[in-house]
Amino acid sequence: MSRVFLVALLCLAAVLAGPLLLDTYTINILIRSFLFAAVALSVDLLWGYSGFLTFGQSAFFGVGAYAAALCFSQFGYSPWIGLLSLVAALGAAALLALVQGWLSFYHGSTPLYASVVSLVVPVVVTQILFSGGIFTGSSSGLTAYDTPDFEIEDWFRIAGVFMVLVTTVAVIFVRSDAGRVLVALRDNEARCAYLGLNTARQRILLLVVTACIAAIAGWLYAGSSGVVAPELAGFVFGTELVIWVALGGRGTLLGPVLGTILIDFTSSYASGSLPFLWKLLLGIAFILVIVALPQGLIPAVTGRLRRKRAENVVPGLAAAKPRPRPDPDQVAIYLDSVSRSFGSLKILEAISFKARPGELVSLVGPNGAGKTTLMRCLSDGAERSGGRIAINGHDIGTLPPYRCVGFGLGRKFQTANVFDTLSVAECLAVARVRLHLPSFWRRADTLELPQAALDILRATSLDQALATPAMLLSHGQKQALELAMVVALEPSVVLLDEPTAGLTQQERRQIGGVLTDLAITHGLCLLLVEHDLDFVREISSRVVVLHQGRLVLDGTVQDVIASELVRTIYAGAAHG
Amino acid sequence: MSAFRQLLALSSAMMLAAPAYAADPITIGIPVGLSGSNSVVAPSVVQAAQLAVDEINTKGGVLGRKLALEIADDASGAIGAQRAFDSLLFQKKVDVLISMETSAARNAGLPAVNKSKTPYIYTSFYEGKSCSPNMFVDAWVPAQQVPPIVDQFMTANKAKTFFMIGSDYSFGRGMLSFTKEYIEKKGGKVVGDEYLPMDGTDWTPIISKLRASGADALITSTAGGAPNVTLTKQLRAAGVTIPYGNLAVDEGTAKGMGADATGIYISASYVTGIDSPENKAFLAAMAAKFGADLKTPNDLSVPEYEAVYLYKAAVEKAGSLDKAKILAQLGRVSFKGPRGVVTMDKQHHASLTMYLGQVQADGSVKVAKSFPNVDPGAQCPKL
Amino acid sequence: MNGAAVLTLGLDIVTTAAILFTVATGLLIIFGVMKIVNFAHGAFITLGAYAGLVASELGLSPWLGLPLAFLAGAACGALVERCVVRPLYGRPLDAILATWGLGIIIGELLTLVFGREVQFVGSPLSGTVDVLGEAYSVYRLFLVVAALIVGGGFAWLLGATRLGLATRAVIMNEDLARGLGINAGWVRFITFSLGSGLAGLAGALITPLSSVDPNMGVPWLLNAFMLVMVSGASLGALLAASVLLGGAQVVISSLASPILGGLTIVVLAALLLRVRPKGFAR
Repeated sequence: MSRVFLVALLCLAAVLAGPLLLDTYTINILIRSFLFAAVALSVDLLWGYSGFLTFGQSAFFGVGAYAAALCFSQFGYSPWIGLLSLVAALGAAALLALVQGWLSFYHGSTPLYASVVSLVVPVVVTQILFSGGIFTGSSSGLTAYDTPDFEIEDWFRIAGVFMVLVTTVAVIFVRSDAGRVLVALRDNEARCAYLGLNTARQRILLLVVTACIAAIAGWLYAGSSGVVAPELAGFVFGTELVIWVALGGRGTLLGPVLGTILIDFTSSYASGSLPFLWKLLLGIAFILVIVALPQGLIPAVTGRLRRKRAENVVPGLAAAKPRPRPDPDQVAIYLDSVSRSFGSLKILEAISFKARPGELVSLVGPNGAGKTTLMRCLSDGAERSGGRIAINGHDIGTLPPYRCVGFGLGRKFQTANVFDTLSVAECLAVARVRLHLPSFWRRADTLELPQAALDILRATSLDQALATPAMLLSHGQKQALELAMVVALEPSVVLLDEPTAGLTQQERRQIGGVLTDLAITHGLCLLLVEHDLDFVREISSRVVVLHQGRLVLDGTVQDVIASELVRTIYAGAAHG
Repeated sequence: MSAFRQLLALSSAMMLAAPAYAADPITIGIPVGLSGSNSVVAPSVVQAAQLAVDEINTKGGVLGRKLALEIADDASGAIGAQRAFDSLLFQKKVDVLISMETSAARNAGLPAVNKSKTPYIYTSFYEGKSCSPNMFVDAWVPAQQVPPIVDQFMTANKAKTFFMIGSDYSFGRGMLSFTKEYIEKKGGKVVGDEYLPMDGTDWTPIISKLRASGADALITSTAGGAPNVTLTKQLRAAGVTIPYGNLAVDEGTAKGMGADATGIYISASYVTGIDSPENKAFLAAMAAKFGADLKTPNDLSVPEYEAVYLYKAAVEKAGSLDKAKILAQLGRVSFKGPRGVVTMDKQHHASLTMYLGQVQADGSVKVAKSFPNVDPGAQCPKL
Repeated sequence: MNGAAVLTLGLDIVTTAAILFTVATGLLIIFGVMKIVNFAHGAFITLGAYAGLVASELGLSPWLGLPLAFLAGAACGALVERCVVRPLYGRPLDAILATWGLGIIIGELLTLVFGREVQFVGSPLSGTVDVLGEAYSVYRLFLVVAALIVGGGFAWLLGATRLGLATRAVIMNEDLARGLGINAGWVRFITFSLGSGLAGLAGALITPLSSVDPNMGVPWLLNAFMLVMVSGASLGALLAASVLLGGAQVVISSLASPILGGLTIVVLAALLLRVRPKGFAR
């Protein structure tokens, strides 16, 4: 952390001293480059970190610039008007970002759709500016308005300090506990939602913050250059920003900042003498980077990897304060004639049952019986077509997954669902975000987990691999990690979809032990889908049998073994 | 990394090379849209400036010093123009700027011009009312271009009702709002005015409205290039035959449009067919200098040529390269060029002879009428 | 509004929908099969227009320009699929970026070869024809026929040929299709070439209404893209989207303002997707 401050101080000193060493022309160019770099930084936060490819940050830059230019041309300049225009810039940008965010991010939206909306925003903003007549200056833009009476050297220092500060804050943020949630969003948004995080709200918040960064940059641009034009808000500028970030190295913050300054500065020389060729070269470099060097040119040249793993401090593990056992009289899972259909095809029909704390219920049935669909209905209110579901007495209505998790639900998916580029410790930390608001500027040095999660880690030796990126884990370790993440949520109801699929016999025994322990010692209610009937027999306290979307049997393990019906179903499925 | 250094080395070598061959010349900066929307016309502008500089240099230069050109691409837009102006004013330290540009580019460059107090002659027709103590304009504004066409339609064609179509940008809106005022002042009526976004090319709904309006005449002012051409084509395809005045078309474009352009009225301060010794000499000199590479001189390139001479006259009258003294003279000196006598004495703008032309079937423009010394009106009352 | 105005409005809607449909089909087929958005679509449209221009400058019949434009687009698309797009399957956002970069390169190359100036292509059909007493542009009516041919040809290709069968299999379930011995790589190659070829054809078809310049395809790209987004992978949905959104554009342009009209498709499509993520599909 102290290294960050040292570098930041050096950069600050450099931009403050810069005007003493540089000629007017270079100063002029660099002011603009600094401001563009700040916008590129905001694109990198959105795209490189949170995985939202946006073509629309230019719109916020334009909004900030026009807020300043319009205020100054209407009322003249005074420090108060300056402040007013800054407030207007931030307010307008934040409002626009809220609208864009509302359109782009909701449960079920796709990354492609969000990118589509980011394309629409600058197009609409530019069109509004064009049709604004004399008020916005239409295509000519606005010029010759009063500006703060600063010398060009002062603007250089203001723009430089702004850029260094924003970059420093961003670097500190992305290295903090809160910052790594962005990477979690990028790696696996669905997992985040099932860890109880309101991903839409987080993405919208991030968009608003980055919109404000871009708006301040635009506001400074209007003040320092004395001119604004619609192209500043346009979609072409938005794509240029993406190109700069890609070339500089997405997901590195410093890469896009340095890349933008370098490219914009070079453009000022190169585009004068070879305008078409320069654009052609940039286009070719861009494609090469996208296809062959996704980490970008600067990291490729300097040989630095996207994020240095060695820097990661591995937190110490500690046991969280145990929570009281769930009230045994409270119905943990309640289903009342739940159904799910696609058109005329009925996947589930009239499913009703209850489960209580401490029960370990296995859901069995042949392929296509609707087991996974039932799991989905239990954790996402929008999934079912009819009937009522309550978790710990809370009706889930049509609530999205993160709200269901809020009622005490945890869900483990069939295929291991973790955050590939995060380490084991980081994955677990993300699972704790719902319960403890993470720090925005530092990394915690201890990671508190419930005893059950610690037990899972110890039993599978994951506690020896806390710094390992999740994608390097074995299949069984990934399964165990996901289970530990789910348990770290401190749920009282856990849904597990084939937790033993693809595991070795030994791993299977370990998991079995962990599950029975969760039910018996910790009083959780577990519902698991399982094909391995031996495993079911060993651990279940109760078995629910589904067949062709209907509940055909609900009883003890003995009931099921004795059931002629179940034998027919499995035999029929085996032959049919 | 090393590629970037090479580029830097290359560009700094070019910077050093420029002043090395000509001992202390007077440098004229030309920020112009070599790329972007203006790149169609930019080469003709550069050629006109090159001819003027050559002619002046062979006759001994200005105050005994040669003239030299510094050309910078402004990419036809605001961001590029800032770069180009910064480079010319603060890096190349030119003595004067003479250029034809988009309004956005001109506006983007003006703060830098005012900061360095360098004379700037703007040589493009535009929507008017752009004012700076450092800027002079030797091309037309709406008050000079619109009346000939409207008068023609109202008198010769007996038009009472007009329909106007434009692109949604400063020039389009500025031209048509002036046109509307002028028509209403003359007792005509505007029955509709419609705009399309600047890059829009599908005029169908507007043309349907035009046909439904039953207007006697049509006046258009679109963005140059594609919007202008598509509008004309679609008008003809829809069978529109009422008198059609196009405020944004030049001779070259009209020729390229072929049969669709036949009958269009245009109004300009320069057409190649002007019958004067100055114009004939100019055309001959251009043809001799550029041969097969010649870009047809036009209403945007000829003012550039004349502006170089106007600057020469101002420097000689000021007797020095002192920028303030030159600025004081720029509004007083005259030059007789292909367009006739030009003096930028009307609030930094110039009275001009305007020509009303009609496109013929073979693509040539026949001058129907000329209007000598049309006044630009009050463009910058504060100057 | 009188009868003539309503008739004109109706014709405007039908012809506008036909143009939009023609322009978007190539993008749709690529998106449907490969799940990537080809942002070089605009550049391929431009390429087709230049192919038409070259044909007319060689003195060929304007009708010959159409197959030529298709071939130019398809050839360029084939090359691009091999060199650039192939590594990007499964990285849809990167594919958008790479194809956008390609669009820039194609545009700059066209500028280097043909210059930036606006050029003209003669129309194979000119003048107007009487439709129920109203004079209407013959070429716009011809575009309706062209759209029907393109759409019908595609429906036939998908429904009645082996290639179509393989393509539909890849659209529905690529893994399964591969398991059945369908060469998915080959299907993609053909699809991308075909889609690019259609873009080229669309470029040549729209030029008689407009003009040719190196950036002419870009304004079309955005509208086509939005139409494809609301249509999923379905040709029928694209037809519905073209008629409804194109119709909305014409109506808003005619009754309110053409500037609002220009934004109609993108804004309506974005809102529609927000409310109903499947758009017009199913």
